[in-house]
Amino acid sequence: MEKRTEQAARWMGTGYSDSPDAAAAGTAAATQAIAGRSPALLIVYCAVRYDFARLLDAVRAQADAGTVIVGCTTAGHLTPGYGDVASESVVIVAMGGPGLEVRASVARNASASRQEAGAVAAAGVAELTKEHRAGLLLCDGLLGEQDEVVRGAYSVATAMVPLVGGCAGDDMRLTLTHLFFGDRDGVEVLTDAVVGVALGSDAKLGVGIAHGWHKRGEPMIVTRSEKGRLYELDGAPALDVFLERTGIDPAVLENAGAFEAAAFAKPLGLSRRTGEDIRIAHSWDPEDRSLLFLADTPQGALAWVMGAEEGSIADAGAVSCRQAVDALDGADPVGFLAFDCGIRKAVLGPDGVEREIAAIERETGGAPLAGFYSYGEFARTRGARGLHRLTVVTLAIA
Amino acid sequence: MTLHWSTHQLTEYFTAVSASADEEVAIRVAVERALEALDAEVGAVLLAGDDGVRGLTGLPVTVLAEQLRPAFHGEPVVELPLLGEANGAQAGLGSDIDGELVVARVDDEFSTEERQMLQGMAQVLGLALRNLRILTTERALREERALEARQRLELLEAVRARQALLETLLSIQRAISRREPLQSVLDAVTDGASRLLGQAPIALVLADPAEPASLIVASRAHWPEPAGTANAAREPAAEAIAAEETVCRSGPSGELTLATPVHVSGVVAGSLVAVGLDATDPAAENAGLMSAFGQQISLALTDARTVEAVREAYRDPLTGLPNRKRFLERLDQILEDPRIGTVVVLFIDLDRFKSVNDSLGHNAGDELLAAVSERILACLRTGDMAARLGGDEFAVLLEGVAVEEARAVEEAQAVAERIAVQVAEPFQVAGRPVYIGSSIGIATRADCTAAGDMLGNADVAMYRAKRAGSGQVVVFEPEMHAEQLARLELRADLQNALAAGEFRLDVQPLVRLGTGELEGAEALLRWHHPRRGLVPPDQFIPITEETGLINEIGRWVLRESLSQVAGWRRSLPGLTVSVNVSARQIIDPRFVTDVADALDFAGVPGSALTLELTETVLTTDPARALTNLRLIKERGVRLAVDDFGTGYSSLSYLRQFPVDQVKIDRSFVSGVTTSAQDNALVRAVVDLGRALRLEVVAEGIEDAEQLQALVRMECDLGQGYHLHRPMDPRLFADVIRLPRPDLITISRG
Repeated sequence: MEKRTEQAARWMGTGYSDSPDAAAAGTAAATQAIAGRSPALLIVYCAVRYDFARLLDAVRAQADAGTVIVGCTTAGHLTPGYGDVASESVVIVAMGGPGLEVRASVARNASASRQEAGAVAAAGVAELTKEHRAGLLLCDGLLGEQDEVVRGAYSVATAMVPLVGGCAGDDMRLTLTHLFFGDRDGVEVLTDAVVGVALGSDAKLGVGIAHGWHKRGEPMIVTRSEKGRLYELDGAPALDVFLERTGIDPAVLENAGAFEAAAFAKPLGLSRRTGEDIRIAHSWDPEDRSLLFLADTPQGALAWVMGAEEGSIADAGAVSCRQAVDALDGADPVGFLAFDCGIRKAVLGPDGVEREIAAIERETGGAPLAGFYSYGEFARTRGARGLHRLTVVTLAIA
Repeated sequence: MTLHWSTHQLTEYFTAVSASADEEVAIRVAVERALEALDAEVGAVLLAGDDGVRGLTGLPVTVLAEQLRPAFHGEPVVELPLLGEANGAQAGLGSDIDGELVVARVDDEFSTEERQMLQGMAQVLGLALRNLRILTTERALREERALEARQRLELLEAVRARQALLETLLSIQRAISRREPLQSVLDAVTDGASRLLGQAPIALVLADPAEPASLIVASRAHWPEPAGTANAAREPAAEAIAAEETVCRSGPSGELTLATPVHVSGVVAGSLVAVGLDATDPAAENAGLMSAFGQQISLALTDARTVEAVREAYRDPLTGLPNRKRFLERLDQILEDPRIGTVVVLFIDLDRFKSVNDSLGHNAGDELLAAVSERILACLRTGDMAARLGGDEFAVLLEGVAVEEARAVEEAQAVAERIAVQVAEPFQVAGRPVYIGSSIGIATRADCTAAGDMLGNADVAMYRAKRAGSGQVVVFEPEMHAEQLARLELRADLQNALAAGEFRLDVQPLVRLGTGELEGAEALLRWHHPRRGLVPPDQFIPITEETGLINEIGRWVLRESLSQVAGWRRSLPGLTVSVNVSARQIIDPRFVTDVADALDFAGVPGSALTLELTETVLTTDPARALTNLRLIKERGVRLAVDDFGTGYSSLSYLRQFPVDQVKIDRSFVSGVTTSAQDNALVRAVVDLGRALRLEVVAEGIEDAEQLQALVRMECDLGQGYHLHRPMDPRLFADVIRLPRPDLITISRG
């Protein structure tokens, strides 16, 4: 089955394969996505199990001389209409048409200076000539401090250009993620890198951001913390306060997996002027009863235990998608790119993911959507911050 | 967003901004973090004058100052280039930096609270910039000094190049006197002779001591390679040896050969031979040159005979430098030589070396001394002599200085400053960076006939330099002697002062300004000298630090202070005592145990004690200091930074050290009602303290107006004559018993 929308000026198509053979999967997904057109951009999302060289060779064989090829490994895909979401698959997005312009760049050795890497990756934005613009960032998922990458990208993209994107995954193994960057003549497989694609369009581009969690109960104050290590909430050991306030059974402390499963469903929200920053505890330290988070939990912040009504987490994808459509001001979308948090996938479970995808499909109006489960989501539409957690970010292309 | 959140964001902001290494980074970080904290899109720092727009974020960098500056003129709505209308906010960077931090966001207006937070951020940035500028000036000054020293040396080199002959001869002479390896001295002679004779081939031919008839070619310069040609040297050499005078021969193609005899202990032992000389050159001059070089060789060879015997007695085995004996002998030799007019001696004493030795061990100390001697040598010119006098003392003898004394001193200062700069650079010892410094005294031969006196004068000048702070260079003046004498006496008297019970403690009450409640007291060490009476701490504390007595005295102060506070707390629980500790104490391996023992002995919790540190704690061994302070903090002991505001590293200090309290130096407090600048500074420290959750103590409150001003600023604690004078601890018991209303009256003045 093939999903695509073709319009005079811009088009987007998606392709999928879960064939275990890399070359076969690459060929099948690329053929579906391109569908005989001339793509300006091919985005390749794939599971880490694949032989990347063979997969990318097969994709290159389908590309044009000027086609930009980028992509990354993921923690799964949410691409409506295709196969079993649980299978380790390949998803390819193709875009093109005279109304679309694409400039790509890559920053290698990103850990040497994350900020500079962000700036290098977003450099293409400055070369765009079309009225509507967005910067798409794909970043090594295990780079850490990816907010520095956003700072760098923002310094180049400026307030006029929104940023979207996600951090590469490795099917939740948390060992090594990969990024792809190249063209028909060759595609590099990189780690410790940031890939940037500047998209220019004659029509609007819309961004949506949602997570589906809501504040529950009274706020707490982060009374002692250091970066991602939270020592105290309301002056008491963070772990004890957290278990008490969330109602999580202390028995989960006997098993790291049980703790993760329980804590993933009970994130903390840090108060911001425009909503909450979501933080998720992934571990704890029995010595000092502190909690460990993937991102900083600044001392002094107001924090809430976040909860979700039945279905509100699964609906976040659809909410994000609707926001992106609304931002098009009535223009018809030709396609969507989505960046969804890998932990959300774990929290939702297979049934939840299916519900999420079904809800998204109701918002897309038949336009193709391709997304991946990521290790951190990028979206900057207002303010200067743009790194999110446990969030779904959607870019709608009109 | 609550105020609580803002304050902590400000703390984080402060940490991020003050971690920046230079102004550009500080501004970039400051703007970035302000935008993120306020959810704003556009930000920049607008500096007055040509500095223009800095750290512009959210707009293309091509936007010019003229386009941006007019937008921010205090109105809530700003018109930005490219972006159009937005909500703006701006805040001044404080009194030291003429500029503003400006931000703009598209959606909502900035609330009053957000504007306040921006104000706080701007002030923090202003403080950080001020500190960076002081640092930069300091660095520039140091570099300038180093450059000046370098330029002076280069100038000297140029002068010398014009006196090539003298230079060559002198340098060979010094090479000889420095006991350089004989072969390199001989090579230096043949090389020097060849250079001055237009690169002519030169050979030194010596009679084999074991078989005088056999002639050996001991050194050659520019001599043709094939081995056989060495014989061309032997023949004229034999002739000169036999004649015992310089001989001159013409070759087949008109070129000249010169050979001059070489003596060892007065006996002819060889000859220096030059071949292929241009016949048109004045022969007499060339013969004179050869003769001069021949004498040099004689000197070197004679000297070499005694070298081995002498070496042992005159060298410091650790650094390879001449020792004190050799240095004084050499100095005496020069002072007696009527031909040598000016000579200058530098006395170099290392600052904080004892701490390194104490904390890292003797091997590390030895390693450091060897490294220091290399750096000193690298700063000297050929012919200057460096010696290790013993311990951490070095001396330098400068001979080749200007004849006129004032100029000679100037040259010596340049060398000394160069040494001071080099020694202040970090050393890598035992795998970690070590920061020491040096104090240098300079003395000339004026008024001195004996080497010992001259070195003594330099030593006295060095002491003066040491007291002026690390890295200083001071030239000796006769009146320094009296001071030195007094100081030596003090030093001797101090040795017995503790045992003789001459120390006692005074205490100065510390008052919580908001309520007038008594918080505790600072313990002040007093020395009652049996003859001199009360000796001011600034006269004897540095001596105790130099001699290491500070550790012993410090232990006494800790025990005494804690036993006092234990007594007070029986009447008024919660009272604390503040004790000053020096850098030397903190890195002392026993210090942590000393504090714990003193607490246990007095039976008070750690929270009864506040240790007051100055920033010198950071300079010697920051890692050890930090470890010890952390261990002490585990006991609940609180840490205060004394004299806050007087040092340029104060802010970075607060970041690195687990500090609970800052004490604003009395010099700022005294100006709080009279100087707008001091007032702003005190206010900034109080605000900063609040942002960082540190208690702020104002020292030296002298009148009611100052007190009122500080109370209005909500400064936490205060001490000073207006509140309570320092007093005998026994009288403090009466202060405790004062009913609280009276205390409030007292504190409110």
